[in-house]
Amino acid sequence: MSVLSQIAQAVIDGDEQQAPKLVEQALSDGVAAKAVLQDGLLAGMTEVGRRFRDGEFFIPEVLIAAEAMKTGMEALRPQLVAQGVKAEVTAVIGTVRGDLHDIGKNLVATMLEGAGFEVVDLGVDVSADKFVEACQQRSVQLVGMSALLTTTMPEMETAVKQLRGKLDPPPVIIIGGAPVTQAYADQIGADGYGRDAATGAEVAKGLCFKKAS
Amino acid sequence: MTSKERVARTLARQQPDRVPIYDKFWFETERAWREQLGCPFVLHPERSKYDWSQASPETQDKTLWEVFDMDITEVAWPDYRLRLVEPTVVEETDEWVLERDGNEAVLRWWKHKMGTPEHVAFGIDTPEKWAQVKPLLTPSRERVRWEEFWPLYRRGRAAERFICFCTVEPFEMVKDVLGHELMLKNMLKRPEWIHDVFDTYTRVAIRMFELVEAEGMTCDGAFVYGDMAYNTGPFMSPRHYREFLFPYHKRMFAEFHKRGMSVIFHSDGDIRLVLDDLIEAGVDAINPLEAKANMDVRELAPVYGDRLGFVGGIDVRVLLTNDPEQIRAELHSKLAAAMPYYGYIYHSDHSVPPGVELETYRALLEDVREIGRYE
Repeated sequence: MSVLSQIAQAVIDGDEQQAPKLVEQALSDGVAAKAVLQDGLLAGMTEVGRRFRDGEFFIPEVLIAAEAMKTGMEALRPQLVAQGVKAEVTAVIGTVRGDLHDIGKNLVATMLEGAGFEVVDLGVDVSADKFVEACQQRSVQLVGMSALLTTTMPEMETAVKQLRGKLDPPPVIIIGGAPVTQAYADQIGADGYGRDAATGAEVAKGLCFKKAS
Repeated sequence: MTSKERVARTLARQQPDRVPIYDKFWFETERAWREQLGCPFVLHPERSKYDWSQASPETQDKTLWEVFDMDITEVAWPDYRLRLVEPTVVEETDEWVLERDGNEAVLRWWKHKMGTPEHVAFGIDTPEKWAQVKPLLTPSRERVRWEEFWPLYRRGRAAERFICFCTVEPFEMVKDVLGHELMLKNMLKRPEWIHDVFDTYTRVAIRMFELVEAEGMTCDGAFVYGDMAYNTGPFMSPRHYREFLFPYHKRMFAEFHKRGMSVIFHSDGDIRLVLDDLIEAGVDAINPLEAKANMDVRELAPVYGDRLGFVGGIDVRVLLTNDPEQIRAELHSKLAAAMPYYGYIYHSDHSVPPGVELETYRALLEDVREIGRYE
């Protein structure tokens, strides 16, 4: 098995000790940092996402895989910086105003990082203004919003209107959360809907990387 | 037929006179309706004013369950915090408060509305720290709010309602101490630690049940709360449910069954993947059957109706339309599917949200009593 495949497998297995060791081995073997990222760490998380979507992996497996990817990234980051490798797409995510629920949003952040996004997590209780401000402070291609409560869902519509009204071009907007549906996403003009973290990341990838190319 | 008889027969999947009725209400719903009903809600004077889970109606002369003449009364609700202390405020604004609680967890709560708190940090995050606090988890009379539940219990007995001992199971207890992420990760990384934590909480839960019983608060059934799933499935795989929770559920539910008490198990989300295991662990009925999580009693009753009861499933999104025709159609559809198996109790698919009008709900209950009558 090539070292890149071994890195991917370490991520899939959730081996946070082995992942950075294999990353360092790959780098010392002369493998480019971008390849270690794309064909090692992200390839592993892509497979994790597939298994989660297909019901083979559940949240514990995804969490330990995310830890392995994190330790692998820590070992890789200095070389990514040195070789000028940056994420193609930046995502801003948050749970909307009035809502403190964060578990689903945290999982989405993990899956988006695994899909190659740089993720800026605004946390919870995020107002529409704050989403807009975050997009004005940096180049952002994706905004992901989460809501747990039917009473906070209207904040998504407010945020969509403000993002589209104040940003040119506006970012891709995807939404998710327990009470959220595709129909609601269509109704408020969001670009996409994720019924769970893995699907959300796939939808985001499809919309953003297609747009970037 | 008394409420006690009606619910007992239903949970045994024997024909009652009609479908029993029970439900839960959002705090905002209850507050609004109580104003209209002339029995306004009053916070317990000694509780943390920021902790809405403590803003319960037991101190009132009448709960909404009694106002609507529902069939079930809930009592006991032992407190499983490591330290039974008032939370320490870390930071606060006009809208929220950040506090460290008796489980050494730091949570952010809204001050003026109900909702799940934000889990900011968990102080018990290693086996070593757990070993230090484990001795604190002892059964004790102080873990039950007797001054609130005794009046409710006595009124329930006088009205011949079906009285449920209410508690939580290990996954629900431990999420307040370790948090979901640490608990779920360590099922794979440090399974022996998680087993020790679940075993400890199960022992205390059983001892608390025995203590409540010894005090004279004997109950007809058990209502056990344990949110272990979300919209698209359980948090953990069926294999990990079997390994990490099944043994403790089986042990806990056996204590209720020994006393002839049926077990109603509450979990949000889609628990279909672990239903067979839950039944084997001793669950007699499930609640609340969230419609948006594919927990449809029309699909589940034909498959499980011979060995499982259903408490819930009436879609709150339909109730929110306040359209009597839509609501009646929802009731007809789901009661028609569930009633042939006798094990159905009316309940919304979680809690009645603000926006459902009081008159809508009253009409709904009349419809349930009419449509839910067995000939």
